[in-house]
Order: sequence, then C-alpha cells, then structure tokens
Amino acid sequence: MEFFETIVNSLCNNLIGGNAWLVLLNGLWVTLLISASGLLLGTIIGAILCAMRISDVGFLRTLSKIIIAFLRGSPVLLLLMVFYYVVFANSRIDAVYIAIIAFALNNGAHIAEIMRSALSAVDKKQLEAARMLGFSKFRAFLAITLPQAGRIAKPVYQNATINLIQWTSVVGYVTITDLTRTVNNIGARTGDPFFALFLGILLYLCLSYFVNFLFSIGSRKKEVL
Amino acid sequence: MIQAVNLCKSFGNLEVFKDLNININRGECVAVIGPSGTGKSVFFRTLAMLEKPDSGQVYINGTDITGKDVNINKVREKLGMVYQGFHLFSHLNVMDNITLAPLKVKKMNKSDAQKKAMELLTMVGLTDKSLSYPHQLSGGQQQRVAIARSLAMDPDIILFDEPTSALDPSMTGEVLAIIRKLARSGLTMMISTHEMSFAQDVASRVIYMDEKGIYEQGTADQIFKNPTREKTRMFIRKLKVFSYSINSRGFDMVEMNVQIELFCQKYNIEPKKVNYIQLVLEELILEVYGDSSINLQLKIDFTIEFSEERNEILISFVYDGRSFNPFEAAEESEHLGMVLIYGVSKNYGYSFENGLNTININI
Repeated sequence: MEFFETIVNSLCNNLIGGNAWLVLLNGLWVTLLISASGLLLGTIIGAILCAMRISDVGFLRTLSKIIIAFLRGSPVLLLLMVFYYVVFANSRIDAVYIAIIAFALNNGAHIAEIMRSALSAVDKKQLEAARMLGFSKFRAFLAITLPQAGRIAKPVYQNATINLIQWTSVVGYVTITDLTRTVNNIGARTGDPFFALFLGILLYLCLSYFVNFLFSIGSRKKEVL
Repeated sequence: MIQAVNLCKSFGNLEVFKDLNININRGECVAVIGPSGTGKSVFFRTLAMLEKPDSGQVYINGTDITGKDVNINKVREKLGMVYQGFHLFSHLNVMDNITLAPLKVKKMNKSDAQKKAMELLTMVGLTDKSLSYPHQLSGGQQQRVAIARSLAMDPDIILFDEPTSALDPSMTGEVLAIIRKLARSGLTMMISTHEMSFAQDVASRVIYMDEKGIYEQGTADQIFKNPTREKTRMFIRKLKVFSYSINSRGFDMVEMNVQIELFCQKYNIEPKKVNYIQLVLEELILEVYGDSSINLQLKIDFTIEFSEERNEILISFVYDGRSFNPFEAAEESEHLGMVLIYGVSKNYGYSFENGLNTININI
C-alpha cells in the first residue's frame, strides 16, 4: 500500500504540480515539430541530392557525393551547434527552425542514399518494358520504378524516421525545450529524476510505436497476399 | 512495314553488326537464328530504338524513326517487345500488368481495358490468374502474360527476343503454342530463337545472323534443308569442325592424333569411331605420301565434321599435286590400308578439281 502511495505521489508531483503536464505536452510538441519538419524537408533534400547523385551530369554527381559524404560523416549535434553558434549566430531565427534545418540536412543525406540504393535495386528492364508500351521516360518512372523503389525503401526509411526522432533529443544543447529537456527540468524541480526520466523514455517509445503504426497502415493489406 | 537500311551498331571497339538491311512486310513471321553473341538481341533493341544505331535508318510504315524529332513513345505504342526474362511489372497483378498501358497511354476507359485484357487472357489460357502477382506464376505463365501485355496495345509488329530461352523445356511448349497461334492469325512478328524446329515450322522467312550482319536468309525450307553458305550449314546441322594441315612428310603424327582425340572427347564421340577416324586418316596419309611419284612437299588439309544432330562424321581430305585417286590405285593392287578404309566408312567419294584432290569419307 505504501508503495502504491509513493507512485501516486510521484505522479502528482511530476505531472500535476506546477502544471507540469502542460509543459510536458509543449516539449512533446517541439520534438514532434522538429522531427516531422526535419523528415519532410529531409525527404525533399534527399530526393534532390539523389536526383543529382544519379544524374548524367558529372559535376552534379560529384557535388552531391561530396555533400552527402560531409553531411553523413559529421555528427548531427556538431552540425546543429555550427548552425546555431556560427552560421545563424547573428540572426534572429528561432532556435527551433535552426534545428529543423540541421536535422533536415543530416536526414536528407541519409535519405538520399536510401533512395539511391532502392532505385538501383529495381529491375531496370521493367522500366524498358514500360517504355516499349509507349510510356515516356518520366511516366514510366512514375508508374513502374517509383512504386517498386518505394516498397524497397520503406523499412529503411521507417528506421531512419525513428532514428531521427531519437536524435532530436540533443536539441537541448542549443536552448530548445524539447521533450528530453522538459523531463530533465521536471526531474530537477521535483527532485525525483527517476520517474521523470522514465516517463520521457516511455513517451519516446510511444512515438516510435506510433511511427511504426503509421508505416504499417499502407502495407497491411498487401501482406495478406 | 518495318525496314532497316544500312544499320550499324557497335559498342566501343566491338562492332555488333554493320550495314544491315532488312525489309519486313505486313503479316510476315521472320525467325532470326544464329549463334549466341551475334547481335540478335542488339538488332531487335536497335529496331526499337532502345539502342541508338551508329548510322543507318529504321523505317516503320515509311517513317524514319531514327531522327531526333520523332516521338519515339508514339512509335513504340505500335511496336511490341517480348523479352527473354519476361519483365512483368512485379508490383502489379496480372490484370493491372495488362491494362496499365492501355489505361495510361491509350487513355482507354477502365471497363473496356479490362474486357480486352480478359479476352487476351482467354487467348493465352490464363483467365483464372488475373489477380495473381507475377512471382506467383511459373516462367511459362509469366511469358504468356507478357505476350498478352504486349498485345493489349494492338501493336503492328511484335519483336520476340528469345521468348523461350529462360524457360525449362516443360514450359517452352505452352509459350510456343501461343506464338504459333499469333503467327497463324497474321500478326507481323520477328522472333529470335534457338528452337530450330519451331522456326522451321512457323517462320515465313528465316534469317541467319553471323559475321556482323545477315549472313544468309531465305524461306524456312531453303535455310533448314538447303543452306548454301558454310556457317549456316554448320549451325543448322550443329556441326563441330576440326581442321588440320600437314605441310611435309616429316609431320608429327602423334601430335595430330592427340589433337583429334581431344576434339572427339570434347564432343563425346564414341571411342570406336575415334579409332576409325584416326585409322582412316593415317591410311590416307600413307597412301598419298606412299605414292613416290608425288611431290615431297605435298600439302594436305583435312577437316573432321561432326554432326551432333545426325551423329555422323564427315572427313574431307584435300591434297594438291597431280590427280591421284587412291581408290583406283587400290583396285589395281591389293592395299591393306584401303581395305580398312572400305571397311569402316559408310560411303566415300573422290574428286579432282583445280589441282586439288578431294576425298570425302562418311563414318
């Protein structure tokens, strides 16, 4: 009974005291915002880098190779700090947007490689077969290569998404109050860090499951086959 | 209908074919045969502009399609291609594979496209597979779907690029039956194939490709029964040839025999026949050199042709100098060697022409 009371007390202290749950929701929102925007922008950047990487123009290929190598090779936290303390040091851009840019770039480089490997795994003769049926190059790509590449890339892309969400936990370094920073603050305030931090882990876990759920919606009906 | 004029294609230093000319009329079924690597596939791909020719033109219904301002997509709507490896769209089921192009390229409405697809599936005998995915079908079934997919666009001509080469023998029949049916219905088609009996049976014209171009062409009967040129004959009869030259009396007969044996081993010729071949050749050489009145620097060339199809061996033995027929000489006096030759050969012949003696012996 005493154990139960301790838990209830911790819960009240951590979640209700000082409207902590509102702060927590706010942190969650920031994490979601950075992750979702980073993913969206990253996908666009990835598509552009990938298009450059497989283009016929040698200059573009080399350029994109260098960019991808640089972005993938540098830790995202350092990238974030460079943007915050150097590149945008004198601007008034909100730290959250800077974080979105940093994560989008890092994620974009990864996604570019995911896309490239998926595209190269598709049977090119099927594209040719479509062209023999009268499809233009672009429409054959849309109708044949893209859906197949998408299917190949999906599990890796899903992984990259979950990775991205977890990596956003470092944005506290540049003064952003995200989910990780929030639970840390709550723990410090109540003097009961175990419960707060554990709650944080649980929330990240929920986010991961939510992402997995989103990805499974599309494929569920195909697995029946 | 489709015409190639002075078509040339090479990859880097490798010249695939040059100055290739062909004219195919509506309703013809043209079989293209030839050893692997003689450019049959590249030829087909060049006709469809999947490979850019280095020079020359391809005309379809009188329009040159090699030009830059040609809308090649429009041309290809009327030009079907069936591949060795099927290449069905793996993310779509059979029905969608067939209706994709009619819906998206021809802008047909959905019910018409599906109705047409069902008719085609009936034709290839796969109505119950319309909702299956390509990976659930056997190779033969996939190829039949690929044929239906191609037919769905109502092409003027279909190019079949070794349609049965990737299939195991139990499945080639079903695919060939469909192609045969199409040929009978008057569809213009070109088919590159290694199925000789099928080509002979179906094709209105047969083209033998070799030596960087069309080596010989004619009706199926001409090519298969009376091929006129050397390589065609060798290919049709599945001949394996061994040739050897002797330039002086002091040649190395042991080495010659070893080479003959190696050749025979390679093609699994039975040991008894190998002995016969060696025996006949040794005796002939002895006969010819034994005739002291002939020039000592006499040159002898012989070839051994082995026909896998007929399991038959033809030795042709050529030597220069004056006319000398060992068979006649043997009649005058008993020659043990010639008796041996009579014994092992099925038939033999001698001729003298332009200073060359030729002896042909079948074993």
